[in-house]
Amino acid sequence: MSAVLDEAPALPAAADVLAIAEEVVATYLGADEPLLEVGPGAPAAAAVVSGSVGVTGTARATVTVELDEAAAGRVAVLMLGLDGIPAPEDVADAVGELVNMIGGNVKSLLPEPSVLSLPVVTAGRVLGAADPVVDLHCLWGPHPVRVTVHVPTSTTSPQES
Amino acid sequence: MKILVADDSRVMRQIVVRTLRQAGWGGHDIVEAENGRHALELVGTEAPDLVLSDWNMPEMTGIDLLDALRAGGHGVTFGFVTSEGSEAMRERAAASGAAFLIAKPFTPEAFDEALRGAVGAQA
Repeated sequence: MSAVLDEAPALPAAADVLAIAEEVVATYLGADEPLLEVGPGAPAAAAVVSGSVGVTGTARATVTVELDEAAAGRVAVLMLGLDGIPAPEDVADAVGELVNMIGGNVKSLLPEPSVLSLPVVTAGRVLGAADPVVDLHCLWGPHPVRVTVHVPTSTTSPQES
Repeated sequence: MKILVADDSRVMRQIVVRTLRQAGWGGHDIVEAENGRHALELVGTEAPDLVLSDWNMPEMTGIDLLDALRAGGHGVTFGFVTSEGSEAMRERAAASGAAFLIAKPFTPEAFDEALRGAVGAQA
């Protein structure tokens, strides 16, 4: 039951996570308004909705997407093809699916076997226990969007034996 | 043809149905399930010709659904539509009898290619 240790890195590369997030946004929210990384100088969202998924197993990580309430509502409108104001449960569902797709693809970059959790969507910011290993400050149209990957400190250390 | 779409996300079920239509597979009966256990019941009562299932769902996962179907003697054509498209997941899906795995985010072309390979040209 020896694991193949050189197949996938223990940490995802920021460029790969950005490429995943860009593709998800372009596919389901439209190519007219791509996700643009603007760095830490991006404006902070006022009222934040956060979605997160966890990866546990050989790899351990938490992938989080933070966006403002207006952006979260727009995500639901675009994903569901709605005309009016989305119901709160549809907003949570859409944001959850957004982070699920990003998290699932991030998981594919990490060592197997690991398990992806169901998405959790909350009002407010998710606080990680440590600094994120990937921290992407982006704009989607006028909306600030932040994509982060947190990895428990123990798994970022070199493996023994 | 009857197609069962299993996903705990209503948003994703709707996207899957929309993508089926965009891929030219819109003229079929669609049945929806919100988790694997619900899908297992509907396979028994609705007798779909094709199951399109998410992997990660509450109550019963997609892979547990597939294993339960095969253990119960159901040979319904089964494909995953999931955000987890690693080689290990594809091998696990194929080992349990899945015809294909479509990774999210997906295109109508990916749907058409997978469905044509699994169930042939549309009637």
